[in-house]
Amino acid sequence: MTTISERAKDLVKVDKRDGKLALAHVYVAFIALAIGGLCGLLQTLVRSGTFTLPWGIGYYQLLTIHGVLLGLILTTYFIFGFQIAAVSRTAGTLTDKQRLYGWIGFWIMTIGTTASSIMILINEASVLYTFYAPLQAHWIFYAGLALVIVGSWIGGAGLISKYVEWRKANPGQPSPLLTFMVVVNLSMWIICSLGVAVEVLFQLLPWSLGWVDKVDVLLSRTLFWYFGHPLVYFWLLPAYMVWYAVIPKIIGGKIFSDSLARLSFILFLLFSIPVGFHHQLTEPGISSFWKFLQVVLTLMVVIPSLLTAFSLFATFEIRGRALGGKGVFGWFKQLPWGDARFVAPFIGMVAFIPAGAGGIINASHQMNQLIHNTIWVTGHFHLTVATTVVLTFFGAAYWLIPHLTGRVLTKQMNRLAIIQAIVWAVGMSIMSGAMHIVGLSGAPRRSDFSTYGGSTQAAEWIPYQVAQAIGGTILFIGIVLIIYIVVNLLWFAPKGETEFPVAEVSEHAEKTPMVLENWKIWLTICIALILFAYTVPVIEIIQNAPPGSKGYKLW
Amino acid sequence: MSKKREKEPDLKGTLYSVGFLGAFILITWFMAFYLFIDRF
Ligand code: HEM
Ligand SMILES: [Cu+2]
Repeated sequence: MTTISERAKDLVKVDKRDGKLALAHVYVAFIALAIGGLCGLLQTLVRSGTFTLPWGIGYYQLLTIHGVLLGLILTTYFIFGFQIAAVSRTAGTLTDKQRLYGWIGFWIMTIGTTASSIMILINEASVLYTFYAPLQAHWIFYAGLALVIVGSWIGGAGLISKYVEWRKANPGQPSPLLTFMVVVNLSMWIICSLGVAVEVLFQLLPWSLGWVDKVDVLLSRTLFWYFGHPLVYFWLLPAYMVWYAVIPKIIGGKIFSDSLARLSFILFLLFSIPVGFHHQLTEPGISSFWKFLQVVLTLMVVIPSLLTAFSLFATFEIRGRALGGKGVFGWFKQLPWGDARFVAPFIGMVAFIPAGAGGIINASHQMNQLIHNTIWVTGHFHLTVATTVVLTFFGAAYWLIPHLTGRVLTKQMNRLAIIQAIVWAVGMSIMSGAMHIVGLSGAPRRSDFSTYGGSTQAAEWIPYQVAQAIGGTILFIGIVLIIYIVVNLLWFAPKGETEFPVAEVSEHAEKTPMVLENWKIWLTICIALILFAYTVPVIEIIQNAPPGSKGYKLW
Repeated sequence: MSKKREKEPDLKGTLYSVGFLGAFILITWFMAFYLFIDRF
């Protein structure tokens, strides 16, 4: 039963001006998805050995466009659009100044994106989305990506300032859950992106401009992965925001526990940053003690991940039982299987089970050798980011976009959206499954089609590459469907009111302790852990630095 | 703990689900582990 005041809260709308800012981000995100998705399809076709790229486009150029557009641009823009709307919805309309920060951030990011994209398109920057030295791109590519980061700091500052304002106006009260989560995610993002900013400003830019000849490769990779792992949690936490704070409302239930949700976000903040070495486990030049230490810290994320799983199962079970589900699993059938806003994120959650299990294998120190630089890794992150995160974002788009455009998701679009999610799940199971299996038999990631001089081992990979192309083709149908739905929601769907769903906390939950909102404690622990995990190894890396490397342009 | 709390919600399904999840993680991990021992 909903009371009148709850009904009134459901109708709270994101202010039009804030909505416009959020939508600007959403546009860029889906343009990136359309182009990046096409590249993905072409990659799988090339790798199956049945297709040659026209007009002198290189495979690695294509892969760079795909990785940058989908891994960096789609994610960052959708996340900012979603976070702006979430803060405006739960902490109140942004002030003019906060919104101005948002717009300045948006334009700086967009100028940067455009500059980097042009460099990739004219084939001056086919260095893949991790822009690993000693591959050397045109300096404008690095400068453009640096602008994306600086822009995100400015936009982020506007949202953090809203949070500070809310806390001042409501002393002694816990902030709205979604706003709190956004601030955790932004804090993590700002702390980690300092690392890649240092890499770009002090290493890659001077080197690509020719001011210095050589670059310390190990140091640059270390700075990259100090950023790179929290980056993946920066993608994931907004999906968790939807799972914790929005999905319970969509299924008609309540948030299982506000404190548990906040605690798990704080744990993600603490254990996402001091762990970058788990991407460098095969790297010579880092002592195994420090690798081991960061592996231990990495595996700590199992705790908030299982807290999240428990909390979600509990939300579903309580709701399903309230609807009359009987027995141990009868509640499962009661969930709203006809609602795309639930089904798409739910498939994303399911994908996170193999994704998480694979992640634990990747991070298990010596066992990393089994999969390192094989296409298993590509299979892994197409489950995490390209399924779990992306399907949750699609599910969110089905209410976020119509909420912001003053339209509604029609019955047909809802049905199409469910089909979209199923198509994506099928395509990804085939593509990612084939990648996992063939990765275990040594097939490399980031590789153009090759028979490797007639090697028998490489010949055994080819059927799996064909399977990836079949999966990729199905996925591309999924891309066409989602773009069709998004275009409909932006410009063609019937006018009307769509709710921005935000769940209430269960009456069974304990009161939220304010210590969870004590930033002095959490940021201190966060920085202490980073210094603990990185100071000594970074000093060792610098002191024992090998001769630097000149730049290579191998494409 | 508040005294006026009604009876605890029944979370048996949640318990089993989390149990399956843990078992799945352990099984896949050990499969990879044996592959690793076999090869290296
Ligand atoms: C139509 C759907 C998609 C297809 C067919 C596809 C296919 C592929 C393939 C075949 C590769 C690896 C090629 C290689 O290592 O040689 C790849 C790499 C990658 N994909 Fe996708 N993908 C799709 C969607 C996505 C999405 C939605 C994301 C992110 C949100 C994503 C992010 C990435 C990233 C970051 C890389 C790595 C690039 C690199 O190694 O530098 N992909 N994709
Ligand atoms: Cu990582």
